Amino acid sequence: MLISSNPPELIWIWAGVAVYAVATPLALTGKASSPLREKLLLGLLGLSLVLFALAIEIRWMRIGHGPFINLFEILSSSLFSLGLIYTLAFWRLPLLRPSAVVTLPIMLILGLWLLVVNPVDSHLPPTYDTPWLWAHVITGKVFLGFCLLALGLAGAILLRQSGFTRRFSSIPDDIVLDLLAWRFMGVALVFQSLMLIAGAVWAQDAWGRYWAWDPIETWALLTWLAVAAAQHLRATFRISPWLGAIMILGIFILAFLTFFGVPFISASPHKGAI
Amino acid sequence: MRGRTLKSMVRLLASTRLALLGIVLLALGALFSYDNPDAPLWLLIAPLFLLALNLTSALFANARIRQNGGLLLFHLALLGVILLVGAGYLMRFDGRVEVTEGSVFSFDDAEPIRRGPLHPFRLNRVHFAQGSFSVDYLGGLNRSITRSQVFVPDANGQRIALVVGDSTPLLLEGYRFYTTPNKGFAPLITWTPDGGLPSSGTLNMPAYPKFEWLQKNRWTPPGGTEILTFELHIKTKYSESADWILDGKSRQTTLTLISGNRNIVLNPGDTTTLPGGQLRFDELRTWMGYDIFYDPSLPWLFYVAILGVFGLAWHYWRNSTSVPFTAAVVPSESRSIV
Repeated sequence: MLISSNPPELIWIWAGVAVYAVATPLALTGKASSPLREKLLLGLLGLSLVLFALAIEIRWMRIGHGPFINLFEILSSSLFSLGLIYTLAFWRLPLLRPSAVVTLPIMLILGLWLLVVNPVDSHLPPTYDTPWLWAHVITGKVFLGFCLLALGLAGAILLRQSGFTRRFSSIPDDIVLDLLAWRFMGVALVFQSLMLIAGAVWAQDAWGRYWAWDPIETWALLTWLAVAAAQHLRATFRISPWLGAIMILGIFILAFLTFFGVPFISASPHKGAI
Repeated sequence: MRGRTLKSMVRLLASTRLALLGIVLLALGALFSYDNPDAPLWLLIAPLFLLALNLTSALFANARIRQNGGLLLFHLALLGVILLVGAGYLMRFDGRVEVTEGSVFSFDDAEPIRRGPLHPFRLNRVHFAQGSFSVDYLGGLNRSITRSQVFVPDANGQRIALVVGDSTPLLLEGYRFYTTPNKGFAPLITWTPDGGLPSSGTLNMPAYPKFEWLQKNRWTPPGGTEILTFELHIKTKYSESADWILDGKSRQTTLTLISGNRNIVLNPGDTTTLPGGQLRFDELRTWMGYDIFYDPSLPWLFYVAILGVFGLAWHYWRNSTSVPFTAAVVPSESRSIV
C-alpha cells in the first residue's frame, strides 16, 4: 500500500474542521433567532464546504481516484456531502435552522474523528471502476444527508421536551417538526432503496453475486428494515412526536454504524473489495 | 359464513402488525445470517414467506394501499422482489472452473458449489477457448486490471476473440463467467513413450502470486508407476516497488523435474529421457480460475426493484404536495404517514 504520512490535502481538512469548531459554539450560544447569526452560520457552512471540496480535489488529483476506499476518504467525502445537504436545507428552510444545535456538533465530531484517522493513500481495485459505484455512493450520501436533516428536527423535539425550550422557541410545534422529519425520512428511504439496488448491481458485476451478507450489506439491510418498521409503526399506532424522534435517533445510529462503524473495523467497506 | 371467515382471515394476514412482526423476524434472520454461511436458510425464508403472505393479503384487504397508486406499486414490487429472489434461488447455479490457456472449457471440469433444484442445466452448451491473460499490479501485490482473452464461436462457427475480466464477465447461455484472483502458470509438457506416440498436457501450478513459494505439482506418466514432482522456478520476480504485469510471456522460468534422486532442470524446449519414455518441457502457459453464476431472475429483479422505488417516490411526493408540512396541527386520523 502507498503511504503518505502528511498528505497536502490535510491542511484543508484541518481548516474545514476548524470552521466547524467555530460554527458549533456559535450555533449553541446566543439568541434563539438572530438573522445575523444565521447568516454567519450559513457563511461558515459554505466556507467549510469549499475547504472540504478543495481537500477532496487535491487528494483525487494526487492519487488518481475519488474518495471511496478507506475510512479517511469515506469520512472526508461524508463531511462534504452531509455539509452540502445541510447547508442547502439551512439556506432554503428557515424552519430547520435551530436544528444546527444538533447537527453541527455531529459534524464537528465527524471532523475531529477525521483528524485522527490515518490519511494513508489507497489503491482503487479494478472492480471499483464502474458507474454503479458512483450511483451507489451518491444515493447513499443523499440517504444519510436526509437522515441528518430528520435527526436535526428529532433532536429539536427531544431537547424541547427535555426542557431546553429557549433555543427552539421560534420553530413550530413538535407535531409539525415530526411531520417534516418523517418526510425527510421518506426521502431517505427512497434514496436508501436506490443505494441498495445500485450496490447490488455493482456487487454482481464486481464479485459475481448481488448479495453475500457481508457486514456492510447486512447493516444496510437492517437500517432499511428499521426505516420500514418505523413507517409501519407510525401507520399502525398513534406515535407521539417524542417516540417518533427516538425512532429517528435509532435509525440514524444504525445508519451511522453502517457508514462509518463497518469501515472502522474492516480493512475495506465491502468484503472481497480489495 | 365461510366467506366472512375468509375475509377476517385475510384481514388478519393483511395487518400492519403482522408486517411489523415479519420485518422484525427478517431483521433477526439477517443478524443470524451475518457473516455466517452455516446459518439455516429458514431463518430468512420463514419471515420472507410471512411478509409475502402479508403483502398479498394487504393488496386485497387494505383499501388504502389499493387506492394509492404509489403505495400499491411499491408493495406489488416488494412482493415481486421476494418472489423473484425465491425463483432465482431455485434456478441458481454457482460453481468454479480453471481453464488453461490453449484449451477449451469443459463442463466436466466445472466444480458446482450450489445448484438450485430447478436449475435448467445448460453448462454443456457452453463453448469457449481460453487465450492468454494479463493482470496489472501496482507495486507489490496490489492487483489492478485483469484482462483474460477468450474465444467464442459466433453463429457461423467462426472464432471471435473477447477480453473479459473484473466487472466484465463472459456471458454464455445465461451463465456468467467471472475472472478471479485465482490464476497461475501451467507448464505444457509432452510425453513420448518408448515406441509410442507423443501426447501433450499442462500441469496447473498453484495460484500465483498468492502461492509463489509453492509452485509444485505431481504427475505420473501413462503406464508408469513413479510419481514425478515438478517445480516451477520463476526467474523474473515481481516488483515490490514498481508496477508490474503478470502474464505468461514476460516470465522467464525453468521447470525442475524430481525423479528419484535426480533433479533435472529443463528450460522451455528441453527434453529429458526417463524410464519408459521422453519428456519435453514445451513452453509456459497460464490458467485462469472463473466463478460461474447463473440466475435468470437478475434483470427482472432490477426492473421490479426500480419500479418499487418509483412507487415509493410517487407516494411520498403525493403526500408532501397534498399536505403542506407547515400546516400547524394535523388530525392524527387523517395523517398520511407511511
